Amino acid sequence: MIDRKQLALNKLRGLGDEVLEPLLQEEVPNIKIPSRGTGNIIYNEDKRYFELGERKGTRSLGNVKQIKKMAQMMCVGNFCKELVNIQKTATMREMYYVSEGWDVGFDNQQESNNITEDIEVTLGISREDLGLLPEEDGAAVYGDITLRDEDVEFNALRLGKSGYTIPPTVDDVEIVGHDVDRIICVETMGLYHRLVQEHAYEKFNTLIVGLKGQAARATRRFIRRASDELKVPVYICNDGDPWGFHIAMVIISGSAKLAHVNHDLATPDAKFLGVTASDIINYDLPTDKLKDIDVSRLKELSGDPRYRGKFWQTEIKKMLKLGKKAEQQSFSKYGLEYIVDTYLPNKINAIEGENTL
Amino acid sequence: MERDTSELFEEFKELTASEFFRRNKQMLGFSGKIRSLTIVFHELITNSLDACEEAGILPEITIELKKLGKEHYLLKHADNGPGIPENYITKVYCQMFAGSKFRNIQSRGQQGLGCSGCVLLSQMTTGQPVKVRSRYKDGETLKGVEMTLKLDVKNNTGIILNKKEFETDRTGSGIEIEFKDVSYSMSEQGAYEYIRRTVIGNPHAKIIFKDPTGNKYTFERATDQIPPLPKEVLPHPKGVTADDIINLCRTSNKKRFKNLLMDSLSRVSSSKVQEVEDATGIDMKKRPKSITWKEAEAVVKQFDQMKFMAPPTNGLKPIGDEQIEKGINEILLPEFSTAITRKPQAYRGGVSFIIEAGIAYGGNAGRLVGNQRKAEIMRFANRVPLTFDQGSCAITEALKSIDWRRYGVRDLDNAPISVFVNIISTNVPYLSTGKQSVAPEPEIVKEIRQATMKIARRLEKYIRTKRAAKNEEMRAKIFEDLVPVVIKQSAILAEKDVPEYDKIMDEVTHKAKIMDMKNRLKQPEIEPMQVKMEQANRFKAEPIRNDEEEVDEE
Repeated sequence: MIDRKQLALNKLRGLGDEVLEPLLQEEVPNIKIPSRGTGNIIYNEDKRYFELGERKGTRSLGNVKQIKKMAQMMCVGNFCKELVNIQKTATMREMYYVSEGWDVGFDNQQESNNITEDIEVTLGISREDLGLLPEEDGAAVYGDITLRDEDVEFNALRLGKSGYTIPPTVDDVEIVGHDVDRIICVETMGLYHRLVQEHAYEKFNTLIVGLKGQAARATRRFIRRASDELKVPVYICNDGDPWGFHIAMVIISGSAKLAHVNHDLATPDAKFLGVTASDIINYDLPTDKLKDIDVSRLKELSGDPRYRGKFWQTEIKKMLKLGKKAEQQSFSKYGLEYIVDTYLPNKINAIEGENTL
Repeated sequence: MERDTSELFEEFKELTASEFFRRNKQMLGFSGKIRSLTIVFHELITNSLDACEEAGILPEITIELKKLGKEHYLLKHADNGPGIPENYITKVYCQMFAGSKFRNIQSRGQQGLGCSGCVLLSQMTTGQPVKVRSRYKDGETLKGVEMTLKLDVKNNTGIILNKKEFETDRTGSGIEIEFKDVSYSMSEQGAYEYIRRTVIGNPHAKIIFKDPTGNKYTFERATDQIPPLPKEVLPHPKGVTADDIINLCRTSNKKRFKNLLMDSLSRVSSSKVQEVEDATGIDMKKRPKSITWKEAEAVVKQFDQMKFMAPPTNGLKPIGDEQIEKGINEILLPEFSTAITRKPQAYRGGVSFIIEAGIAYGGNAGRLVGNQRKAEIMRFANRVPLTFDQGSCAITEALKSIDWRRYGVRDLDNAPISVFVNIISTNVPYLSTGKQSVAPEPEIVKEIRQATMKIARRLEKYIRTKRAAKNEEMRAKIFEDLVPVVIKQSAILAEKDVPEYDKIMDEVTHKAKIMDMKNRLKQPEIEPMQVKMEQANRFKAEPIRNDEEEVDEE
């Protein structure tokens, strides 16, 4: 933790120097900012996630359109430095209101969000490290993992049925110990509670993570850390439709929008467990017809570099041919316990080897 | 039962001119309450201006309008003209068709109905007599006379009710006259606007006006030059009718028709006369009085097929571009003004005219609507403002056909612009008896367009330079505001002292460039007084146009 704080402070000081030093040479200062344009978001095949390319833009003190943004960057920089120094955090919304008292303010919150992203990419560190947090909490976690947040230590089996909620300050949380062999993430809280009720955490010796739809930054960071620090496989079980696919893919390979922090957020080793088009056929699941928007989304995904692998290409084609989609809960057709008793063991065994479970 | 013819004709009466106009007052322009009062102002002011110019006096006119009741006003008018000799007073104020304007000459009014028309209107609406004061030179002595007059409509003469002489040390004439069923308005058609425009078109005139609410407006003269008097121009053969020729023949004392044509019409040479003779077979040595209607018709028909030199133009006296600018600057206090007087042209092949145009931009130019200034078109014919019937006028048509965006005016209707157009001619082709709009003769419309577009280019240049300077200035302000912020915040961030940055500040604000732009704005073509930079903040700032990308990609 100390390292991350010192790193942030050093980088912020460096940003100030980038402006001051040219002035001493009587040169017009400018700041180089990695471009976040689509042309500069590159899928790294080796790392298996999106990252920013080499292209950089210049923000110059001598440009009438850029100088305001430059001033805003410096103000945000000082605000963050103060946060890091006093060990506090603020939400983006809070910063937006605080900025009213600055020498140069923001016209709207979108503007302040953009400036924050500019600082993230310029310094190469995430906003959480700068003390800026998103509004929403992360996912729910249930299972035998012991965590310490400041001086409180707890086990995620003993926090009630809703489990442990991942805070935005996930990097301040220390993983003290665990006794799990895998991590299973599920898209809906409905399935999460089903797994808790059916004691899946015991049966599979797993952590259960309830994503609550598209995974928040904190959730993605937690999954990444858990994958790195626990050194166990991560599985994602979502609805069998393009949207479920993509929720999984953002956890695995990161989003284009956050390409500059994917090195901290993406978990390239995580695996999509289902529901796949093959599952729909194999388990004869109750289905809905694909809507036009589902079809066009599937086609979009098939061209996305993150879906280049054979598994995805086959499953997308199969679903398009089938014209059908299915939800996770559709396994209830065979009884509430079916998904825990039959489906998940089948899928995990298929990946980890027969008779693992 | 049949009536006797003689019985029927008992009711057949002869109408005098006065009686005719009493029944048809709209033909004098007296239709509508606002318009009637504006026409009264027009007649009185026009008379004063003409009289002063003929006498070589710089006009100074005082008009006071008092409200006596609902739509009931007393008007007091006075000028410093030569005055009217006692025995002409009733002719001027009480007799229709008396005057000096029945010639082929450029003049403000043309009907000779002017002042007596006003007296007629007064008498019809109030029944009251008018009071006239005249101070004039009789030989070497100055005389003053005051008369109370009524108009004898049946006989087209005046009745003097009262008369007294008084001593005076100057010349001039004036009238006190009451009206009912008229109303005073500040609108574009109202009397106030009429005066304002008169002064712009007649920058040598000074007019003092007291309005019914007691406000006193003094419109100072912008120049001390009395305009030269227009000269009579002989009619051009392309403009005459058979009736004109017959009339010429009746009144002429020439012995031969040939001489009559050459002396009474312009551009008719002996070879042209020969051409007419060859074509028509009419003996050109005939006595003019023996010319028949048929022959006159044949001559006119032949004229139409022949080519003549354009009519002479030396009789036309335009205001002049310099004088127009002075008038505009005095009254509108614009940021920028420009004017042009074009060379004479002819319409319908035989009537010469001159177009003058002016543009005022910013300041008090444009019409104030609410608190926004909108474009206004000021139309003039022979220096007289035309305030009614704008829609059908050649001037309006020509100006509306111009694409103003090409001249830097993005939205003409909502721009602080006054466009001035004056047509000078011995025969302005009015569309109707009210003489408030000019017929859209193709030559006239084209000429107005050309004139206006020419000066619009000067306006465009000014606007462009001004926008550039303004953008440059706003740019500089942004830097002056933000450079210190960036540097101070950077110093805090780096935990270092704020370094010296004056030189960088000068560099980024482009100080030299701004000074250069300001200098360019101040330079004539455009006299310096017309460019009032300190007025710049009165106008809505143009948004900065910026083609720079938010971030320069490397």
